[in-house]
Amino acid sequence: MVISWQAEGEQYGHPAVCFFTVLFKFSALAFYVLFSIFVQSFVIQFVVTVLLVALDFWTVKNVSGRILVGLRWWNEVNDQGESVWHYESLDQQTLETLNKKDAWLFWWSLYLTPVAWVALGIVAVIKFNLDYLLVVGVALVLSIANIIGFTKCRKDAKKQIQQFASQTVASHMASTLQSAFSV
Amino acid sequence: MLSERTPLQSTAQADIDEIESLFSISVQPARLEVPAAAVVPERKPSVALAPERKQQQQQQQQYVNKSSSSNPQQGPSIPVSYVPPRPTPDYGSSSSSSYITGAGGGGGGPAAVVGFGSGPVYNTLTEPVWETLKRDVMRVVNNLRNVVFPNPYREDPGKPLRDWDLWGPFFFIIFMALALSYSATTDRSKVFAVVFATLSVGAIVLTLNVQLLGGTIIFLQSLSLLGYCLFPLDVGAIVCLANSSKLYRSLVVLLSLAWSSWAAYPFVSTAVPSSRKALAIYPVLLLYIAVGFLVLANN
Repeated sequence: MVISWQAEGEQYGHPAVCFFTVLFKFSALAFYVLFSIFVQSFVIQFVVTVLLVALDFWTVKNVSGRILVGLRWWNEVNDQGESVWHYESLDQQTLETLNKKDAWLFWWSLYLTPVAWVALGIVAVIKFNLDYLLVVGVALVLSIANIIGFTKCRKDAKKQIQQFASQTVASHMASTLQSAFSV
Repeated sequence: MLSERTPLQSTAQADIDEIESLFSISVQPARLEVPAAAVVPERKPSVALAPERKQQQQQQQQYVNKSSSSNPQQGPSIPVSYVPPRPTPDYGSSSSSSYITGAGGGGGGPAAVVGFGSGPVYNTLTEPVWETLKRDVMRVVNNLRNVVFPNPYREDPGKPLRDWDLWGPFFFIIFMALALSYSATTDRSKVFAVVFATLSVGAIVLTLNVQLLGGTIIFLQSLSLLGYCLFPLDVGAIVCLANSSKLYRSLVVLLSLAWSSWAAYPFVSTAVPSSRKALAIYPVLLLYIAVGFLVLANN
């Protein structure tokens, strides 16, 4: 699978990470849908699906976000006992060296997963399998948490880039004015 | 195709290496500025040597970490810098934090931009996957040790966890639900779903209870603590599988219940004002007693 990706026109920067990102999401969805065809065991289905969703959450938050798009978010409690949310991004230089295809894959898979889970949740409600709503609930909570975290990272990154740009423009203008007046 | 690919990668790699070395050079003297000022001028040569040694050490660390990250499963080829034991916000690059007070979501505070553009490499943004995994696992183990086990080095038993995380509670709840449904004879899936829903909703409701009573604890922190205090009941559920005599099971459940309550009492009682202590601690005990009954009732 990795070899066929490398043969495409523009390659993935980190094919293994891309693979794992998509793997857990896809296998969670596939397992949830297909397992009930073979074995009628809610417990196994629940545990395995929730485990895959949790693995996906961890992978996306700690590995894919860092490596594919250079973003990271977490929460800390500081000494005053307050909750501090940290949103980080690599700076502009390194951000531009990141692979565009990686980023495309990352964002698309991030946004499509909760849509798929909501659809499955609607199916579960229609089929009156309300137990399965627990699974869908857990999957939704985790994927929405990741979406919120990374979207905030991206917004912060854009804000910082704008601030930086305005700062450099201001300093450039100041230096030109200075040189103009000194001459 | 492959030949086109490798030069691109190597130049990017070289760039990142260069930036990394620049970062280490730029950061080291800044860190050592304070002791240098306080130190007698004669000692300056030793201080000047130290950054160089530190830089070498860091580069060695990089090489060590590079070789360890060549594990094919991990994948990332980004070079690595030394990982601090905790992710502290004093990076050389941009990070913005919004401050939320413990009383549940105040408006965002100022976004502090720290040294944007002074260095592209973050300590925790470029560590290998193995380091992240190890760090998270150690965090769970430490939290468990701090909350549940009697620990003479614990600074203040009433103080909620600083490094809270939800992985521990997640696994404990799943484990409890699994253990109870495994030993159930009828309708296993129902038991599992009920236990899981009860525990998770119960933890959320208990946290809301503490907050509504005027407590000063962060929502996720309290969830994490309540989840960790479930660990003794997990142990009790396992031990109960050994023998199915009623007396034995009652004893085990009673012991694990006492342990859970002992672990949960300090932080719940210190989180609320003293007049409301009983109101906060009673539902917690009730939840654990309910789970204890579930463990006892399975045969």
